[in-house]
Amino acid sequence: MDAISLNDITKTFDGFTAVDKLSLKVPEGSIYGFIGPNGSGKTTTIRMIMNIFYPDSGEIEIFGENRHRGHSDQIGYLPEERGLYKKMKVKELLQFYGELKTGRSVRAEIDPWLKKLELSEWANKKVDTLSKGMSQKVQFISAVISKPKLVILDEPFSGLDPVNTNTLLSSILELQKNGATIIFSTHDMATAEKVCDYIFMIHKGKKVLDGTLDEIQNKYGTDTLRIRCESKATGLEAISGVEKVHNFGQIQELRMTPGVDHQKVLKEVMASNTLLSFEMIKPSLHDIFVRIADAKEVSDV
Amino acid sequence: MYKVFRLALREYVAAVKTKGFIIGLVMLPILMSGSMIAMALLKDQVDIRERNIVVLDETGEFKDMLQEAAEYRNSNQIFDPEDSSQVQPVYRIEFVDVDTAATIIQMGALSDRVRRGEIHAFLHIGSSLVHPSEDPENAYLNYHAESAALDDIRDWLRDPINNHLRRLRLEDAGIDESQIPDLFHWSWVTAKGLLTVDEKGNIIDAGASNEIRAIIVPLVMMMLMFMMSMMGAMPQLSAVMEEKTQRIVEVILGSITPFQFMLGKILGGLAVALTSTLVYVGGGIAFMQHRGFESYIPYDILPWFVINLIVLIFMLGALMTSLGSVANDAKDAQSLSFPAMFPMMIPMFIMIPVLKEPLSTFATVMSLIPPFSPMVMTLRLASPVTIPHWHPWAGLVGVVLFTLLVVWAGARIFRAAILMQGVPLKFSNIMRWMTKG
Repeated sequence: MDAISLNDITKTFDGFTAVDKLSLKVPEGSIYGFIGPNGSGKTTTIRMIMNIFYPDSGEIEIFGENRHRGHSDQIGYLPEERGLYKKMKVKELLQFYGELKTGRSVRAEIDPWLKKLELSEWANKKVDTLSKGMSQKVQFISAVISKPKLVILDEPFSGLDPVNTNTLLSSILELQKNGATIIFSTHDMATAEKVCDYIFMIHKGKKVLDGTLDEIQNKYGTDTLRIRCESKATGLEAISGVEKVHNFGQIQELRMTPGVDHQKVLKEVMASNTLLSFEMIKPSLHDIFVRIADAKEVSDV
Repeated sequence: MYKVFRLALREYVAAVKTKGFIIGLVMLPILMSGSMIAMALLKDQVDIRERNIVVLDETGEFKDMLQEAAEYRNSNQIFDPEDSSQVQPVYRIEFVDVDTAATIIQMGALSDRVRRGEIHAFLHIGSSLVHPSEDPENAYLNYHAESAALDDIRDWLRDPINNHLRRLRLEDAGIDESQIPDLFHWSWVTAKGLLTVDEKGNIIDAGASNEIRAIIVPLVMMMLMFMMSMMGAMPQLSAVMEEKTQRIVEVILGSITPFQFMLGKILGGLAVALTSTLVYVGGGIAFMQHRGFESYIPYDILPWFVINLIVLIFMLGALMTSLGSVANDAKDAQSLSFPAMFPMMIPMFIMIPVLKEPLSTFATVMSLIPPFSPMVMTLRLASPVTIPHWHPWAGLVGVVLFTLLVVWAGARIFRAAILMQGVPLKFSNIMRWMTKG
């Protein structure tokens, strides 16, 4: 069964179409990554799933049932903007959010979560004494304390250091292991590549990517030549058949136009540079994201 | 419904646990009745500097009498009976001859003396004051001072002068004052309520109707309602605005609907107001019972007071939460709070005319207009007159219907506006959100 099924949903604000006839199916038990440039419609889509906004048209189903029947108790939600009562103590706050979600006491679940995210010492401290990272973790706990079947995390890693990012990632994977379906939106392509079973990209309100990482990369094919030169690489942009060059300093990635002879390009590179290594690779998610976001025209999937 | 109560409980605990609530509970009645308390505390703070009053007497009849009256007062009425300390100023009466050719110039000169502080005031007695019918234009008695209207001397002068006028008129009529021993006995009109019939059919005499029952009780109930609205409903505007700007609302809306959120906030505010009411009303009743004033406690209208208070806070709470949802910052909240207070302010403005004539068309109509109904109807009910039984019920039905309308419209505005950041605060936007959702 699909945890979420969006069928042709559209949402407009004062004539601006934020989400345009979007359809998407999120299989139960999967981790689905929502990516897209700022203002592309990710948060609006999530808010419609959360029933905070109603779509102007189209239907939303959660676990096979119409969204309007109400499934809030089964969905844990971490919004993009963090919202915690600053004057409440951490434990009281988690208890309040948990009870508001489940309608029962969640006291027993609070301590294990605080321990897991290394916040036990802060249990009886007021929220306004916490650092940004700690507040983020408290917000995360408040989203999952009710043991929801579906967890929606809007930019969960923003503002977190790598250690806390890893802590949160392992908690997300554990939730999936326990049967939860996870959706998270992110700008961190590397994390999305590593963690997500499926990736969905929205741009200007339209779906532009949807599938597993392999499916997405295969769609673009092996069209990138990654090289490493002895000294600073030169003359790459001028090579015939090279559409774009990404210079990362130590390595360079050359995106080639479809149908070009790779060997011929390689020869031309070698003609003006001393190569230390080279390989043909699929485009990274980051590269695909940039290609789509940079494109003037949006072609939906 | 559990979620609504859980949110209401948080709101309630967050409000009553603060020091601000406890301080407010004590301070609010003090501030509201501050002027009365200040007047009571400062009533003995009287300026006892000597007052010199010049009299221009065109009749020539008052010199001895006024000086004797002043001397009597200075000797007998300006000292504290307990410790004999002086508590009132000495009055010195100085008569000057009237310059009939240039009275106005003389009065101008006396006015300058008042301004320079040489004398306190001057009294101008017209030439025909003893027999006004002979020459009404000159039957004046004018007191000239810097603050003549509020001056105690003006009040003091009234009795000796009027009593003397009567004596003079009796003399002119050839009547001996001693033949009429009760000549100067004044009678006062006693305020009494209406007679009632008890269960056995006996007619019960009316008790004395006094200011406490007629004015103080309605005013206290009205002020209490105003204060409870300020504590229970008004804070919702800034609270919702803060939760909106701090993005807390979106987290909450992940668990409950906007309507439940709004309802929870209103119920929390209502619980705060009812707690305060319990403290004030309970404390007031205990105090009055202790001091032997139980007969002044309006037990019969307390249920109506509570019912009207509940609907008032519901109505205002819905208004405040929806307005809070459209505010983007403290400045917006401040500018919205003024019109939002109209349902409380208008009844305060019309309080006196309603209290004087609770059965007038004006009072009846105002008490049936829903936004004003809870406060104005309570005021009318607390007044000593009996208002028709259907009035409070009609007012209640109207205000309940109006409250449902406010909740419905407020919920639509709330739902549309609560997640919008930076949208300009415009009446057109609010109307659009209300009509289109």
